[in-house]
Amino acid sequence: MKKVKALILTGFGLNCDTETALAFDLAGAQSHRVHINSLIAGKEKLADYHILALGGGFSWGDDHGAGVIQALKLKNHIGQDLLSFVNEGKLVIGICNGFQALVNLGLLPGLGADYTRRSVSITFNDCGNFRDQWVHLAGNADSPCVFSKGIDLADYPVRHGEGKVIADPKVIAQLIANNQVVFRYADSKGLPAKGAFPLNPNGSMSDIAGICDPTGRIFGLMPHPEGYNHFTNHPDWTRQKEQLKRRGETLDTGMTIGVRLFKNGVDYIRDTFLNQL
Amino acid sequence: MISCIEIALKQELLDAEASSLKKKADSYFGIKIMSARCVHIVTIDADLDGAGLDRVKDEILTNPVTQISSLLPLDIAFDWCVWIGFRPGVKDNAGATAMEAISDVLGKRFGKDEGIYTSKRYCLKGETLTREKIETLAVELLSNPIIQQFKIFSIKEWNKKIGADVKPAKVILDHTPCCSTICIDSDEMLSQISDQRNLALNPRDIPVIRAYFLDPKVLKERREVGLSVPTDVELEYISQARSDHCNHNTFNGIFQYTDAFTNERVVENSLFKTYIQRPTLALKEEKDWVVSVLWDNAGVGKFDDDNNYVITGETHNSPSNMEAYGGAITGIVGVYRDPMGTGLGAKLFMGSFGFCVGEVGYDGPLNPPLHPRRLLDGVIEGVKDGGNKSGVPTTFGQTLFDPGYMGKSLVFVTALGIMPALIAGKPSHKKTTSPGELIIMSGGRVGKDGIHGVTASSESYSENTPAGHVQIGDPYTQKKMHDFLLICRDEGLTTFITDNGGGGLSSSVGESAMLSNGCEVWLDRVPLKYEGLDMWEIWISESQERMTIAVKPENLDRFMELSREHAVESTVIGKYTDTGKLHIKYKDETCAYVDMDLLEKGFPSWEFDAVWLPPETRGLTEPVISTPADFNRLLLEMLARPNICSKEWILRQYDHEVQGGSVIKPLVGVNHNIPSDASVTRPVLTSQKGLAFSQSLLPWYSKIDAYHMMACTIDEAVRRLICVGGSFDHIGGVDNFCWPNIGFDEKKNPDGKFKAAQLVRACRALKDTCMAYKIPLLSGKDSMYVDGHLEGQFGERVKVSALPTVQFSATSVLDDISKCVTMDPKVAGDLVYVMGTTQNELGASEYYDLFDKTGKNVPEVDFDACKILYKVLEKAIDKELIASSHAVARGGIGVHLCLMAMAGQLGMEIDLSCLPLANAFRGKGGLSDDILLFSESAGRFIVTISPDNKNVFEKLCKGLPVACVGSVTDAHTCLKIDGRDKKSIVNLSCDVLDKAFNKTFGDHI
Repeated sequence: MKKVKALILTGFGLNCDTETALAFDLAGAQSHRVHINSLIAGKEKLADYHILALGGGFSWGDDHGAGVIQALKLKNHIGQDLLSFVNEGKLVIGICNGFQALVNLGLLPGLGADYTRRSVSITFNDCGNFRDQWVHLAGNADSPCVFSKGIDLADYPVRHGEGKVIADPKVIAQLIANNQVVFRYADSKGLPAKGAFPLNPNGSMSDIAGICDPTGRIFGLMPHPEGYNHFTNHPDWTRQKEQLKRRGETLDTGMTIGVRLFKNGVDYIRDTFLNQL
Repeated sequence: MISCIEIALKQELLDAEASSLKKKADSYFGIKIMSARCVHIVTIDADLDGAGLDRVKDEILTNPVTQISSLLPLDIAFDWCVWIGFRPGVKDNAGATAMEAISDVLGKRFGKDEGIYTSKRYCLKGETLTREKIETLAVELLSNPIIQQFKIFSIKEWNKKIGADVKPAKVILDHTPCCSTICIDSDEMLSQISDQRNLALNPRDIPVIRAYFLDPKVLKERREVGLSVPTDVELEYISQARSDHCNHNTFNGIFQYTDAFTNERVVENSLFKTYIQRPTLALKEEKDWVVSVLWDNAGVGKFDDDNNYVITGETHNSPSNMEAYGGAITGIVGVYRDPMGTGLGAKLFMGSFGFCVGEVGYDGPLNPPLHPRRLLDGVIEGVKDGGNKSGVPTTFGQTLFDPGYMGKSLVFVTALGIMPALIAGKPSHKKTTSPGELIIMSGGRVGKDGIHGVTASSESYSENTPAGHVQIGDPYTQKKMHDFLLICRDEGLTTFITDNGGGGLSSSVGESAMLSNGCEVWLDRVPLKYEGLDMWEIWISESQERMTIAVKPENLDRFMELSREHAVESTVIGKYTDTGKLHIKYKDETCAYVDMDLLEKGFPSWEFDAVWLPPETRGLTEPVISTPADFNRLLLEMLARPNICSKEWILRQYDHEVQGGSVIKPLVGVNHNIPSDASVTRPVLTSQKGLAFSQSLLPWYSKIDAYHMMACTIDEAVRRLICVGGSFDHIGGVDNFCWPNIGFDEKKNPDGKFKAAQLVRACRALKDTCMAYKIPLLSGKDSMYVDGHLEGQFGERVKVSALPTVQFSATSVLDDISKCVTMDPKVAGDLVYVMGTTQNELGASEYYDLFDKTGKNVPEVDFDACKILYKVLEKAIDKELIASSHAVARGGIGVHLCLMAMAGQLGMEIDLSCLPLANAFRGKGGLSDDILLFSESAGRFIVTISPDNKNVFEKLCKGLPVACVGSVTDAHTCLKIDGRDKKSIVNLSCDVLDKAFNKTFGDHI
């Protein structure tokens, strides 16, 4: 069977590439970590891949705004390739720094199919500091997002200093109306955080943690699904394991909900894209 | 042409940076700011036309959604405006990335006189603000004169057209590089020159140096290359290599040790050889997992059949004391180069921190260079940026407070890497240089920064300490280099690699050339940040983010190709030879030509007198304190003490799970807010194995006996590993000594002999404990001058020395991470056990400190008893009998029961009369409740188990000091403790405990 190929960007201070690649592999894809300059030099071609992942990290040290220079660099050198990639119906996922880059590229939110306009910004957390914590996310079942299918509640870690999603209230309203808001920060039951810290760790408008473009094929989120690639990543696993044991049950050590997010993308390509080839 | 672009957040948006300034101004200085906005200024000193500038402003520097910007000063209202910018030559990371972005977007090449500089101005409004208050903020909060400059404008003084009138912070040296010779006519003369040039040559080394350069054979050889008397390059090289920082003269020194009480006299010929090297080499024979120790930048242990892990720890104290942020970020980014330069290079997978600072609320008469509060803020932020931007999780860390650290605070940083056991079929931990190989410098460029860092850290801090060695680390540049060098390693392109840390090229090239037995270095090829550096400055500069690499000529092209692809600067700066000479040239002139073995030419050992005064001879006795009546209030008071209370806000700022291998996080429990005993990480994501890591710091026990300080510190680190599931058969250690000056001087250091004896005793304990527990020391470092001479209120200077401190780091490899245990009680109905005996050991405890007492009964470790207990707990965890386990540490059983109750958010009912006691205390009325609750006896755990496991567990523990002391309940969420006569002495709900535990630093985020 033909493999789903995922390209994970590396270089210039990006740093979650290894575990993002692992998550794609666990999800059934064949992952390739590719340096941004390899793409620019044409040594590797975006067109040879099905999924592009812009992962976490501190590209260009996050100086002058997180993800800003990465977006400029990509736009400047492979902007057309990116648009063609998207137009072919392939998938793009941006996580944390990658999400920041996607909104600065304009690939998100892609309102009115304009993939160059910057209308959403991801800025400094209201708490004034970088934070590493696990969050509860409520998924939007009505979202067209390919990656979040079937995920109504997920725990992932956030690790950022600039994760507050803001935009003109009209833009936010449109995103909500279009179901482009994929994940919102929530409590353990999935009820909206309503801005309450630390459930909403950064003060994002409308508790937004992740958005997609109108097609659902371009997706960005601040939390790190790849940070939950193994059951032992979850902060409560030792307690859950012990409590289940007392009930005669065992902890689910299979695919995590973090990897499932990637699997959704891989399955989409396999089901709809590779079949068309 | 010079242009300034000002950028600010749109007025309607929250300015988080300015809000934090408002908060600090109020809480630190009581200065009320009504509103604050921050303006970022990018000063462009380059040939760009108007259209180009507009593109830079709009496309690169301004976010259209959130920001406004202008080529003229932004019109933002203020009463006072403070501008803060770097001094020339200080690393401006954001300026450098702006240049990179502009080159890319505009295709512009920057000339060597062009540059981009970033600065900030704060627009402050407030009716009560005065120039004096604004100056306080500028000096005490916003800037540090060592690296920054500021200007203050009242609204009346503000010129709307020129704004802050920012000039480029360009370095102009206007100096023609030269190499000078140094007169060595007499010892006195050389000694004088050493003082003038800050060479810090030891007086006893001076005759050896002179003898070498006056040797007729040496003179003859030197004449052939055009040299006679030594050059400054040569003397600087010797100074670096002979510094205590590089050469560890203290640990290799001769100690005349006397016990003033017993009159025992012993000569210790080398603490390093006797107490560190020999035991570790013996253990290496015994433990096949020990791969490489005692020679490389870091130690190497086996992780699994295919991978080895690498560990080292460092301190970065002196620079952090002058510029906390810069010192700490340079420290962590610097220690991360050690694993990168170990063997053929390791990939970093975790780091940790240890901060020891003065009291944050200090308001006494002494005036340290930085107030402890500010210092702590700065070092926290430095490690945050350094660690997070390196993409390395900071999985563990401790912060402690003691007045002694106001003299010099301590910043410990530890780094762990992982590397394949074999590279191209050869062991990755081996490396060497060979004649003909090229010397390559990769990474950052060389500037004046960091010059004399090594020699400065080998001195006590005084008003004359040069500030020039303070730097700002650049994790971005280093991360690019890290990724690049791992690829070179895997392609087999490198034969040797080491980092440029203390001593710069002088150390890295000097030491690596020992292997090939010679080198020729072309200093004029070393890329510089700016022109005008003298040869000796290029040779010893400690400019950061640089590695020195040996590459065979046939691999050079590929190496350089990869370097370009990764946007890393690499330069061939010389070649390795086998001439036996260190030969340094600048263009065609020789500026150094010395024998490679010069440093082995009979330099004398340092000598120290060490006089031990046992505690009783120093008048230490147990204090007289009757058993308290209100244990509830007492426990809450203990929980809120700075050395016990929650420091969650620090750990949260650190990405502790990047790379995806987090198994046990630094914060655990239902609310994820209680410090874990140890962290566990999967460095190899496809493996079931994990690496457990813990650290301990118990400097207070040094007040009584540094021997027991050392033993207890190691014991605690080991227990922390065991209780998350670590294996007693594989424990690696890293010792980081920080000691006040031990050189006796009647006037300047009258207690030097005692401090020297404390050091000897700590080293003895290090060996005894490591041999008992079979811990090879994978790595270790020492920082020997943790004293400060602080300005007092009458113009006097008062010497403040830190407590003799050792941070001990411990590692263990776990076969199956799914068996890891955390310290939170998990299920109601579980039984609570205490393992290990409680003794009357409150000496230097947190409890006595509450009453400002020291006492005498310092905790002592019974190695044999502990070993048995630890193996039993390891077995119980392996059999999955243990629901939660926790090492009893600072604050004793009382404090640690509180931590467990809070972690589990469940009730606990405890009967103190059941605690296992030492034989001496059994049946004689036992110990009083305060001793039971707060004694800090070593070797103890609190564990919880399912009642179903009671029999198996108790059988396992048969004959050992292990007793069931109570149970976990969900009938309530209180910690209820009955005292030794079965009466209730504590009844506190988790809510109340949480409040006390979190209130001290509660508003910190």
